[in-house]
Amino acid sequence: YQQNSVTQSGFNKLWGHDHFDLLQNPNVLPPEKVAPPKVYLGNELLDSANCSPEVFRCTMTKIPESNSLLQKSRLPLGILIHPFKDLTHLPVIQCNVIVRCRACRTYINPFVYFIDTKRWKCNLCYRVNELPEEFQFDPVSKTYGDPTRRPEIKSSTIEYIAPAEYMLRPPQPAVYLFLFDISRLAIESGYLQSACAVLLEELKSLPGDARTQVGILAYDSALHFFGLGEGLSQPHEMTVLEIDDIFLPCPDNLLVNLKDRIDLLTDLLTQLPTRYNNSYDNNSALGAALQAAHKMMGATGGRVSVFQASLPNVGPGALVPREDPSQRASTEVQHLNPANDFYKRLALECSGQQIAVDLFVLNSQYVDMATISGISRFSGGCIHHFPLFKASRVLQNERFERCFRRYLVRKIGFEAVMRIRCTRGLSIHTFHGNFFVRSTDLLSLPNVSPDAAFGMQVSIDETLSDVQSVCFQAALLYTSSKGERRIRVHTLCLPVCATLSDVINAADQQCIVGLLAKMAVDRSMQSSLSDAREAFINVAIDILSSYKMSLNMAEGPTSLLAPPCLRLLPLYISALLKSTAFRTGTCTRLDDRVKAMIDMKTKPLGHLIQMIYPDLYPVHNLEEQPIVLNSEEEPIPQPPHLQLTARCLDSKGAFLMDTGEHMILLVAPGVSPMFLSEALGVRDYMSITDEMYELPVLDNLHNQRLHQFINFLNDEKPAAATLHVIRDNSPNRIEFYERLIEDRVENALSYHEFMQHLKTQVK
Amino acid sequence: MATYEEYIQQNEDRDGIRFTWNVWPSSRIEATRLVVPLGCLYQPIKERQDLPPIQYDPVLCTRNNCRAILNPLCQVDYRAKLWVCNFCFQRNPFPPQYAAISEQHQPAELMPMFSTIEYTITRAQCLPPIYLLVVDTCMDEEELGALKDSLQMSLSLLPPTALIGLITFGKMVQVHELGTEGCSKSYVFRGTKDLTAKQIQEMLGIGKVAVAQPQRGAPQAPIPPASRFLQPISKCDMSLTDLIGELQRDPWPVGQGKRPLRSTGAALSIAIGLLECTYANTGARVMMFLGGPCSQGPGQVVNDDLKQPIRSHHDIQKDNAKYMKKAIKHYEGLAMRAATNGHCVDIYSCALDQTGLMEMKQCCNSTGGHMVMGDSFNSSLFKQTFQRVFARDAKNELKMAFNATLEVKCSRELKVQGGIGSCVSLNVKSPLVSDTEIGMGNTVQWKMCTLTPSATIALFFEVVNQHSAPIPQGGRGCIQFITQYQHSSGQRRIRVTTIARNWADATANIHHISAGFDQEAAAVLMARMAVYRAETDESPDVLRWVDRMLIRLCQKFGEYNKDDPNSFRLSENFSLYPQFMYHLRRSQFLQVFNNSPDETSFYRHMLMREDLTQSLIMIQPILYSYSFNGPPEPVLLDTSSIQPDRILLMDTFFQILIFHGETIAQWRNLKYQDMPEYENFRQLLQAPVDDAQEILQTRFPMPRYIDTEQGGSQARFLLSKVNPSQTHNNMYAYGGDGGAPVLTDDVSLQVFMDHLKKLAVSSTA
Ligand SMILES: [Zn+2]
Ligand SMILES: [Zn+2]
Repeated sequence: YQQNSVTQSGFNKLWGHDHFDLLQNPNVLPPEKVAPPKVYLGNELLDSANCSPEVFRCTMTKIPESNSLLQKSRLPLGILIHPFKDLTHLPVIQCNVIVRCRACRTYINPFVYFIDTKRWKCNLCYRVNELPEEFQFDPVSKTYGDPTRRPEIKSSTIEYIAPAEYMLRPPQPAVYLFLFDISRLAIESGYLQSACAVLLEELKSLPGDARTQVGILAYDSALHFFGLGEGLSQPHEMTVLEIDDIFLPCPDNLLVNLKDRIDLLTDLLTQLPTRYNNSYDNNSALGAALQAAHKMMGATGGRVSVFQASLPNVGPGALVPREDPSQRASTEVQHLNPANDFYKRLALECSGQQIAVDLFVLNSQYVDMATISGISRFSGGCIHHFPLFKASRVLQNERFERCFRRYLVRKIGFEAVMRIRCTRGLSIHTFHGNFFVRSTDLLSLPNVSPDAAFGMQVSIDETLSDVQSVCFQAALLYTSSKGERRIRVHTLCLPVCATLSDVINAADQQCIVGLLAKMAVDRSMQSSLSDAREAFINVAIDILSSYKMSLNMAEGPTSLLAPPCLRLLPLYISALLKSTAFRTGTCTRLDDRVKAMIDMKTKPLGHLIQMIYPDLYPVHNLEEQPIVLNSEEEPIPQPPHLQLTARCLDSKGAFLMDTGEHMILLVAPGVSPMFLSEALGVRDYMSITDEMYELPVLDNLHNQRLHQFINFLNDEKPAAATLHVIRDNSPNRIEFYERLIEDRVENALSYHEFMQHLKTQVK
Repeated sequence: MATYEEYIQQNEDRDGIRFTWNVWPSSRIEATRLVVPLGCLYQPIKERQDLPPIQYDPVLCTRNNCRAILNPLCQVDYRAKLWVCNFCFQRNPFPPQYAAISEQHQPAELMPMFSTIEYTITRAQCLPPIYLLVVDTCMDEEELGALKDSLQMSLSLLPPTALIGLITFGKMVQVHELGTEGCSKSYVFRGTKDLTAKQIQEMLGIGKVAVAQPQRGAPQAPIPPASRFLQPISKCDMSLTDLIGELQRDPWPVGQGKRPLRSTGAALSIAIGLLECTYANTGARVMMFLGGPCSQGPGQVVNDDLKQPIRSHHDIQKDNAKYMKKAIKHYEGLAMRAATNGHCVDIYSCALDQTGLMEMKQCCNSTGGHMVMGDSFNSSLFKQTFQRVFARDAKNELKMAFNATLEVKCSRELKVQGGIGSCVSLNVKSPLVSDTEIGMGNTVQWKMCTLTPSATIALFFEVVNQHSAPIPQGGRGCIQFITQYQHSSGQRRIRVTTIARNWADATANIHHISAGFDQEAAAVLMARMAVYRAETDESPDVLRWVDRMLIRLCQKFGEYNKDDPNSFRLSENFSLYPQFMYHLRRSQFLQVFNNSPDETSFYRHMLMREDLTQSLIMIQPILYSYSFNGPPEPVLLDTSSIQPDRILLMDTFFQILIFHGETIAQWRNLKYQDMPEYENFRQLLQAPVDDAQEILQTRFPMPRYIDTEQGGSQARFLLSKVNPSQTHNNMYAYGGDGGAPVLTDDVSLQVFMDHLKKLAVSSTA
């Protein structure tokens, strides 16, 4: 037995399947970035053609050949997709005929089988299709030849410029409508100044062509429309006081051509921030404003950007405060579900007219995120949250401005639908993200953004033992801001496996966490938060138990074994249990919790993981760290990742925590004077003020390295993160320490305690 | 002694008054037997250059239920410093400030020449007038452009202190905020919904003062709640000029075969509501400019389907005017609210088709507001008329008074039966109120929300005394008219007219009474009564009533042998009366079927407000003839006046028509007037044009100017007015149901008179 075990362990080591003892080894995090596991199809060409894990990822790199095998592994099966991610290299092709399977409409892809030069076999439904003559012609090289030269066959991610049959109507212009809450709380937050300033600066950078239209609508107790008609010397505000049965004050000039009316728009945006300073209106008629927006945009569709700062308390969809602040730390959380279906219903109506509604919530009080978010969740919109926002708070304002700026200039797809197909035998059943499911595999996305991600659960309906691999294909049909109809296709191919050990060792722990987080949100809403928390723990127990079973060997009394590919799972789960979305026992505002849950559903996996488990690096000695060169040949220091525990800190260091949108640079008192003066450009330790939000640019190596590193981290983000430099003895240090989630926080278990708890449960 | 004619003229000039009877019958029964009621036409603020400026309050009779004002008819005891009220005979001490009076040193109000006098109440708050423009934007560019020009022009004609507001409407109604900086602003209301004043007040936040947080620095100066919408012209004329300049056509698309959706009723309701909740009981003028009919919402008069024409008189008669009753109810309600608050409503309607004046008329009629009807805002008719609204007097003050009340006091032998004019009853009960009502009765006070110098009200009186206890001969009956109003300068003023007439016993001295008959006043008063009836009754009954009254008057005052029509004679001061009645019954006031209901409403509106001279022109147009034979002369309104070598100038009040006889027309077409040798022809052609210009310059509203000739298509306007003495249709018939005398419509004056004589002398009629 011992011998066998040794042999087994050597064998596992050989295959990289060594186990990892969670109890014995607290340093579970690898110093380098956790890379997604590779998919091996046994063919180098296909492997290199396969879809990037940044776009398309499955919870396992091998698909179990049967449902029972999947069940044995206790792993969740699902895919995460980030379909409209900004890509540096995207093959775009224009052709008369887009080659698709006649039976299942799958787009031709690198994983189809060419029977001969005239026919191909669909890799999803196995139908044999004719290959059109012109497919032999390569539009890039303008020559005839082997079909595998075609970009469709060489790359799993491809974009087609769609011919007319992909259009239900001529592509509409890009239409942007901005809805500004001007209630008293909104005005007092000062957001309007920042929002208008950024919008003004970026007006000309809005994606679109000569037809781009823009409109502005403000609301408090009433709706304030702005007529920007031709021939007006100044904007004309039209206030509609009757909000119960909303109507538009005029049929046109509310949405106007950006180019033609840029002067009026500029005029308006300049006036708007101070225009309502003395109105002191305590009401916010969001519902009516949205209804008006729906009417304004009905004909064209487009994007509505809502800035909401207070609880919508009048008119259609009016809400009353539901949160009991004294219950913010309780173990059961009420009111995670919407108070009414107004926003959802309106969102579906918007979706039907190709209108997406995005929310910027800048609240200082409860706004019922659970209810109002419906307008975005079901219309394919996005939600940004700036709790306790005050424009006078530099950091918050900075974060808001960066976020809004990125939002304005990022790519956008209009009138979009996304269809997910998969190989026969598999089926996709539960969708996560912001959209409306129009039919079983078709998601309606009035807008699609490069920052939106989706998740789908997959089940195995038939045995896959007779196939080598399975495929998922996502096709996103959209209208570009330049008025082109385009189709972006991503195809992911995965091998099929037959043993439990193969399944378990093919697990993609980050992807699993991403999917689990989404499922837990549903669980919280449908059942309860405690159920969702329990489910997280059970998943960890089940997977570890299943692994134990697959090892078929006894564990020591002080060990808890995990496969290397799953060794971070308990860490991530313990982090999730302490996350804003799922924590209990810690004072958590309901709106913040709901927003965190929405993020779980919609953030691309990389950002999601960073949100759950921020990256921590030592940065006081970057000049001593190994270096890699980036595409501009700049040296980028590569400090190790540290685990989120005080154990990793020391009093002579400086530590950068990157939560995605925000970075905290904690400077310990014993840090070298050199670091202070050179990297941070401060005279001494106490010269680090409580309001240090940026680093000076200095001509020395320490400072350059720090900048290079931070820039390197920011390059991966949609918008550069804000930075706060904090002294270890400042009251702000709590912001850093509360994120050291491996340590005991309030009454939640430390990571070590959590492992010990798992140990007692794993059978 | 002067002739009655001179006496009447004198009274009109001095007091703005014309009585039907200038000697009054001393008993009730005799008064009723005079057929034409005892009544008068009174111009409350007739222009008087010679009135002394009096800066003190009038002295009132101290008797509680009298309160008449000291006047030249009062007996004064200069030694005791007492005066005796000529209405109740109360002895009143003069107030202390009158201590110095004597027979040689009288205050103006005691001088006989100041039987009409005006007091300026200096202690009353001076209020600037308020003008609220309500502008239809459903019109084409040209029309709207012209209207905008007129509106901008009007800003310079208004006193700078006047408050002004702007409401525009089409499918929606927009209340504009004035004096905004950087961004114009309006509040938009659905045109299909009616709002109460309270709702408007709440929605517009009028009266709701925003409370600033203490930490927001110094408290702001309190702003009058409505100042966002009603601002002094001096403060906003630049921005308002721009705002009006940038007004655009109603942007809502209008489908093929559709009318624009026009929310007149809602707009007017909002305008009246806005004034009601901000400046109740302060002089204000809603000036509404209308380019078509209200086609949706409250006050709708037609739908938006062009296939469905707006109602005609035939539709109304056949009870086939779907929207009419509801619309009338809406506008009557608004009229009453406006009148109650002292606000008037002008309607300037310019469109080729009707706009619903018929339904809206009460808004003007009840408040004294103008009703102007034209084809186009781009016509000189509208432009000049509108400019004339802002006419100024010799003191350079607008000839426009606001928020007036007229109170009538009379001797105890008289009672007040009612009034007919552009006003509403204030329902002030008094022992002076008669049980029999003519026009708006049951009151001794009427509200006139606006007045012009020519505005004229008809008032009716009853003689109280029974025949058994007639008033002793030699006495005089008195009437006092007290008009309190807001002068265009903002001053509160009180105009007092006190008159007296002799009593006469009609049984013994009927000739005294008949000699005092003012046939012109009678004609106008009867016309007002007839039209007042026509507005409620069916037309044929009114015609029958007019005829019956005429016949009875002829029976009463004619000299004749029974059953001998040829013996019939009327004395001179009655002789024109039948002619007036002849023309009245042929006029557009009573014959509606050749006109649209809107036209009828417009014509009647003017008849109910103008002074006697103008009203007479309306009833019986004036015809002048121009020839080489001498200066122009008035000629009979008769076909016989149409001669080839004559030019006719006809003034119907509403139209000024120049008609060139056949020969004149030929010469004109041959351009003789351009040849030096025919200078006199040129002068002949020019003479009526110059005379017409004179009328056009002064008339309000500006008449339609027609230049035509024998055979010209527009000659029909002349032909429809002249007595058809030479037409083939000189047949007449009479009869009708119940044996009441009825004359057919289109008979010649001669036939009419023959028949009248016959009926008057008939012992059976
Ligand atoms: Zn297929
Ligand atoms: Zn008296």
